[in-house]
Amino acid sequence: MPIKTTNIMKNIISKYCIIKPNELIVDGKQEIIDTENNKFGAFMKSIYKHYEVKYPKYFKMDNLSKLAFIASEIVLNDKSHINELEPTKIGVILQNSHSSIDTDTKYNETIKDKENYFPSPAVFVYTLPNVMIGEICIRNKFQGENTCFISKEFDAEFITEYVGELLDSGKLEACITGWADYIDGEYSAMLFLVEKNKENKKDNISFKPEFINQLIK
Amino acid sequence: MSKIYTIADNIITSLGFTSKENFTLLMQGKSGISKTSDPKITQKPLQVSQVDSEKLNTEFEKLGNSKEYTRLEKLMILSIADALKQTNINTANNDTLFVFSSVKGNINLIEDENHPFENKRINLWAIADTVCNYFNSTTKPIFISNACISGVTAINTGAQYLKTGKFKHVIVCGGDIISEFTPSGFQSFKAVSENPCKPFDANRNGITLGEGVGTIILTTNDKLVNEENPVIFRGGSNTNDANHISGPSRTGDGLYYAIRNTLKESAKENTNIDYISGHGTATQYNDEMESKAISWAKLNHVPVNSLKAYWGHTLGAAGIIECIAGIHSIKENCLIKTLGYSEHGVSEPINVITEFKKTKVSNFLKTASGFGGSNAVAYFSELNAD
Repeated sequence: MPIKTTNIMKNIISKYCIIKPNELIVDGKQEIIDTENNKFGAFMKSIYKHYEVKYPKYFKMDNLSKLAFIASEIVLNDKSHINELEPTKIGVILQNSHSSIDTDTKYNETIKDKENYFPSPAVFVYTLPNVMIGEICIRNKFQGENTCFISKEFDAEFITEYVGELLDSGKLEACITGWADYIDGEYSAMLFLVEKNKENKKDNISFKPEFINQLIK
Repeated sequence: MSKIYTIADNIITSLGFTSKENFTLLMQGKSGISKTSDPKITQKPLQVSQVDSEKLNTEFEKLGNSKEYTRLEKLMILSIADALKQTNINTANNDTLFVFSSVKGNINLIEDENHPFENKRINLWAIADTVCNYFNSTTKPIFISNACISGVTAINTGAQYLKTGKFKHVIVCGGDIISEFTPSGFQSFKAVSENPCKPFDANRNGITLGEGVGTIILTTNDKLVNEENPVIFRGGSNTNDANHISGPSRTGDGLYYAIRNTLKESAKENTNIDYISGHGTATQYNDEMESKAISWAKLNHVPVNSLKAYWGHTLGAAGIIECIAGIHSIKENCLIKTLGYSEHGVSEPINVITEFKKTKVSNFLKTASGFGGSNAVAYFSELNAD
């Protein structure tokens, strides 16, 4: 395994998942493959059922929030020790490319035609990309650093630097971080649960850009 | 650790095209909010604060071809160019980082299907690319879209990068424009006031939206500091209420934690704080929550204002232009009154500033809260202050 290292690791990825059209990968293993080529909503719902998520608010979310939320449920599944940390020491730091443009466009349809003008607060609230972070925080009562960065492509170097500093400076003990992007039926998510390294184990994955780039290759 | 100095700034709003023009009118208690019935912005009369379009284009033509840039890009380029004039930083050097904040970016390109730009320009990162190209920047910019706390988050993020030593200078620029998109959305929430907003007041009835951009330049290089007692950034924090996506915490816990964390990072006790620049959007829930957080932090006695009745809620600019106003409050030793406030309307007895006052100001806390349950706080003080 090339991702092992003998150096002492400060911060480790204790779980990660990758969601792409019709495929879910968890800790490097293909967990679900959708052979029926379902659309986004149906594929997400199959993951929701597979993990036995029970959260009615999920069905009110826009697609970007659904994607980030489902990915967060997967990386937090069987990680109950995270909930024992101080809430303000758990952060959610995400990146994406298309901000909330998918929902912005949907909302714009409701105000375009002055004869058929029906702006909806339930749609408008999702015209903010950081609301996906808010949804994850509400679900898990996480109250730490939370920021949504917009970048054309996923930037592992930036994320490891920024989140690494929050962990190293003691502002955070753990962080959900990575990427969630949704636009017009195209989507991808890569979420990492990052924690301070408590004991050196041979399977630990160091929270460094070179290792992340191998994981998501 | 190196100090983080504030060395230059700019504000562009309805009140003017420089920090000085804006701050002079704040000192005089003048508001830039007025009523519009422009059908491109609203279906019914709306109170709003807008940048003068004619002046924007005239000023921009001095710098570049107006047709090649969107309204927001022009505002950002003008703002950064004015801030850069006040200092000696080469934006082409790899020791200078750009950090941007905007909530809705070039949203007018989604609304206007006949816009003359490439479609990719609707992306927030494309704004950063366009503005960075203008200034020949060679470093990868950071773009933050964190609802109403975006501006304070951008300053905190820029400062974090300076602390790591990876960059020497950070140019933080944030802004948002007014189109139909945002007013219609807040109206659908019944969160827009019919009259100019009244922060912390008993008769407050919602927000007034505004257009604006702000730029602040931070550096760790003391050779660029021209003042004997410059204003420095001391610390900052972001937290989440984890309560509701469109309503703030009822207890103020998230904002309180952000204040607590900020003071801890700043090595500052909650005594001798001279001024709090509040968020004060004038919605029922926000102002009430803020009063609870301030009270929880035992800062009831500290003079607090909201500047929203001067230039409206400028979203991605708000945190930046309000920090700049705080810095100028230190430099001018004065406190700006909370325009729109007359009868105390929040449950905690916070000390809302009702009159313009000349008084020694050595430091301030800036607070912000927004959709998604987010809160951000930053603390600035004079270099020679506790």
